Amino acid sequence: MSEVQRRKYSQEEKNTIFDGEFMPHIDSMYNFAYRLTFDEDDAKDLVQDTYLKAYRFINSFEQGTNAKAWLFRILKNSFINEYRKKSKQPAKVDYQEVETYYNSDDVQYQSTTDLRADSVKDMLGDEISNALNSLAVDFRTVIILCDLEGFTYEEMAKILDIPIGTVRSRLHRARNLLKEKLRGYAQNMGYNTEEEEEI
Amino acid sequence: MAMNEETSGARKLKCDDTSKCFELLESILDGEMDNSKEVLKEKLAKCQPCFEHFHLEQAIRDVLKTKCTKQEVPNELADCIRQKIQEIK
Repeated sequence: MSEVQRRKYSQEEKNTIFDGEFMPHIDSMYNFAYRLTFDEDDAKDLVQDTYLKAYRFINSFEQGTNAKAWLFRILKNSFINEYRKKSKQPAKVDYQEVETYYNSDDVQYQSTTDLRADSVKDMLGDEISNALNSLAVDFRTVIILCDLEGFTYEEMAKILDIPIGTVRSRLHRARNLLKEKLRGYAQNMGYNTEEEEEI
Repeated sequence: MAMNEETSGARKLKCDDTSKCFELLESILDGEMDNSKEVLKEKLAKCQPCFEHFHLEQAIRDVLKTKCTKQEVPNELADCIRQKIQEIK
């Protein structure tokens, strides 16, 4: 991602890029970091480290290109390399298994739940947020990038260093898992689901 | 959900290819399809499973975007970053 050609920015240009293109994304960066680490101090450290790295490697960034995606990629890599080790994340998902599962004939893009759109609309922010937070980090990440931050599949592929096809299948799988969680909430809260015996 | 070959009103109750249709609908919702309006209109008008799937997926995207409240960024974070940058300049 814009790292092939190194530039040589003047101090003034660096400041302009940093303030004009990097800092405006601090809210999104912090939100992403917090949803990865679930800890305010870890999230602050992660965002701070990301910005320091961004400054250090600013010559690898092409002015005017997609700064947000560039920063998110650095943050994601910092998280994997430094924070994931010490945080108590669920075990890494075996994607080979996931991909095989989704390449098999019988389970592509089926409607897996009887959750209703109206039930989802009635849910509280905490329920939605808890459902998202309960997903394994790699599934949570694709939903954050796509639905909360609005990245395209192509941008996500670059941020995560995975092929677009994998972005698509991981996202689909993540949303199905999320739907299962939401369906559980819907039933507990007495929202209308169509077939209660299908648990 | 009971589905059969009969139609209800204008919409089929059974989708001919949910796998292909749902993948398409999800791509449209994710903004990955150009000129998708006509395709979408036709699908939603003609197929009940597609109609329901689309609205559920849309509702989930909407609540994620609107109800997953942004974490409030600590006030001192931006200043702290700027200060560290000054130190390494």
